[in-house]
Amino acid sequence: MSAYILRRVLQSVLVLFLVTIATFLLIHAAPGGPTSIFLAPGLSPQAQYIQAHNLGLDRPLPIQYLDWLWRMLHGDFGSTFKNGIPVGSLVWPTLLNTIILMGIAWVVTLLIAIPWGIYNSTREYGISDTVATVISYAGFALPAFWLGLMLQQIFAMRLGWLPLSDMWSRGQEGNLADLARHLVLPVVTLVIGFLAGYVKYSRSSMLEVLGQDYIRTARAKGVPESKVIFRHALRNALIPIITILGLDLPIVVAGAALTETVFNWPGMGRLFVSEATAREYNVLMAITVITAIVVVAGNLIADLLYAVVDPRVRLGEKEGETT
Amino acid sequence: MSTPQVRVIAGDSAQEDRRDENRLQEQKTLVEVEHLKKYFPIRGGFFSHAVGSVRAVDDVTFDIRQGETFGLVGESGCGKSTLGRVILRLQEPTAGIVRFDGVDLTRLRPRQMRKMRQQMQIIFQDPFGSLNPRFTIGDIIAEPLVVHGVAKGREIEERVAELMRLVGLDPSRRNHYPHEFSGGQRQRVGIARALALNPKFIVADEAVSALDVSVQSQVINLLSDLQDELGLTYLFIAHGLNVVRHISDRVGVMYLGKLAEIAETDEIFGHAAHPYTAALLSAMPVPNPHRKRERIVLQGEVPSPAHPPQGCRFHTRCPFAQQRCREEEPQMREISAGHWVACHFPMGDVA
Repeated sequence: MSAYILRRVLQSVLVLFLVTIATFLLIHAAPGGPTSIFLAPGLSPQAQYIQAHNLGLDRPLPIQYLDWLWRMLHGDFGSTFKNGIPVGSLVWPTLLNTIILMGIAWVVTLLIAIPWGIYNSTREYGISDTVATVISYAGFALPAFWLGLMLQQIFAMRLGWLPLSDMWSRGQEGNLADLARHLVLPVVTLVIGFLAGYVKYSRSSMLEVLGQDYIRTARAKGVPESKVIFRHALRNALIPIITILGLDLPIVVAGAALTETVFNWPGMGRLFVSEATAREYNVLMAITVITAIVVVAGNLIADLLYAVVDPRVRLGEKEGETT
Repeated sequence: MSTPQVRVIAGDSAQEDRRDENRLQEQKTLVEVEHLKKYFPIRGGFFSHAVGSVRAVDDVTFDIRQGETFGLVGESGCGKSTLGRVILRLQEPTAGIVRFDGVDLTRLRPRQMRKMRQQMQIIFQDPFGSLNPRFTIGDIIAEPLVVHGVAKGREIEERVAELMRLVGLDPSRRNHYPHEFSGGQRQRVGIARALALNPKFIVADEAVSALDVSVQSQVINLLSDLQDELGLTYLFIAHGLNVVRHISDRVGVMYLGKLAEIAETDEIFGHAAHPYTAALLSAMPVPNPHRKRERIVLQGEVPSPAHPPQGCRFHTRCPFAQQRCREEEPQMREISAGHWVACHFPMGDVA
């Protein structure tokens, strides 16, 4: 088991290293460097060159890369070209804001979706199942910017029940009740978008397991139906659900650029979009690498959880430790 | 009592004949099946409404006597497994009655039915799919004891070990998972699980079909030893006659959801009356290269159980079919003591 963990961790480190190379090259290959975007248009080539030199952008790419990687390993993401603000001080607060929004939306989604999917699997094509299908279509079809705007229009503008946007009311920073009121609309927007997939997924995962022979065996034993569902079926159905959770974990961090923009939420997705137009390489690379770390970690966690849930994945386990 | 190996290879020994006689003396009926039907709706169209039905089991009547092994044979898709499951009410019948020890199972509430399951168990065909991969072998065998509350704590452990020994498994492996066992061993686990509650009646649903031949005979011998020791009654479902021959007292032949013929094993193998039974028999390999036999090779495919043929269901493939067979559905009738056949022109019935 520990050998398995070690191998998976080493694989993850290798993947992250490759991600940094790819990120670096792709961002530097994109047309329109920082000098032509935020410095005064019509600047002479000489002046542009001097600017680039001051920012260290005239050095060979491999040198730039190694310099960046070395500093990043020490927790330094560099600073913005425009104002010289340290990237860390820009990114970390937005990351926290994104995790608050997305984490809550995600957990709410799962708390609704997984029990609902399980319930629907036991009453296939019933009323609840049909409702879930309709919501699925709606959730997939309604883009976040439209749904978000509609919710704002109704609940903030017309009814005035909830704040229109932002994370805090002015002067209320740190007031959790105020934060909760600001969270409602973006969370609802996100949950409606997420819900469809998870309900369908947990339903079909359960249905597949419920069709297995060993479920029939359990019923033949005389096991009560509730135990058939929760003891026999759910344990097996959880594995594909865990996979999806692991793969989706990054959305909690990467954020939803559209929803964050609509609700003016100071999150990382919104930051990425605004900094992309400004060609702030250091910010973009920092966000990409942070996201990559979470992607890789999510996969790693899913793999390790398999081992917990599925005895067949416990590789390298000693035979005959039983009595 | 002869050893299991000898019994299968030698088949009819004098000892076995005596055993069979003893068994048949108890004529008490354990399971009565009357006009049992199981139709599966075919859904289609825009609103997924029923547009037809597959008649997996269509008006089947027979009974199983206490202590006997009733062999049920037929091609795949003829409804024999469905029949087995409907008898145990693992699937709800569409119509008909199943009486177990005089109790009509079809009228029991779910709670009563679960209680009844202590007395009737099933061994499934697929030893890989029928064991939950998340449960240890010990848990799988112990679960019936736990859910029916018949044993607690230490007793459970002892009973599991006893059952594992009974089916020839090493009790020290009770904490292992199903994937660590071979197909034959897994089937033994399935048998131990089925026996846990001391049932009277066991449906062996193609219990040996997924196993290779050498393991098949081991498992069959195990089942037949257990029958002697525990006085079990079996419904033994198989698609091949040769497996059924060695273990069954009586045999029922099923075709397209209906029983074609029922008789004692020797009678079926000696004097098959239904042309379908005769065709199945002639397809059995005989371990003698010099023996020439007339083979009845059936033409064509099994018709769809959603649209069974008019008249006799077998007429589309029967080499002896006549006009009457196409028009009138033959009813089950007794052509000699205990030998029932649903055919207008049974074979050997030379007019």
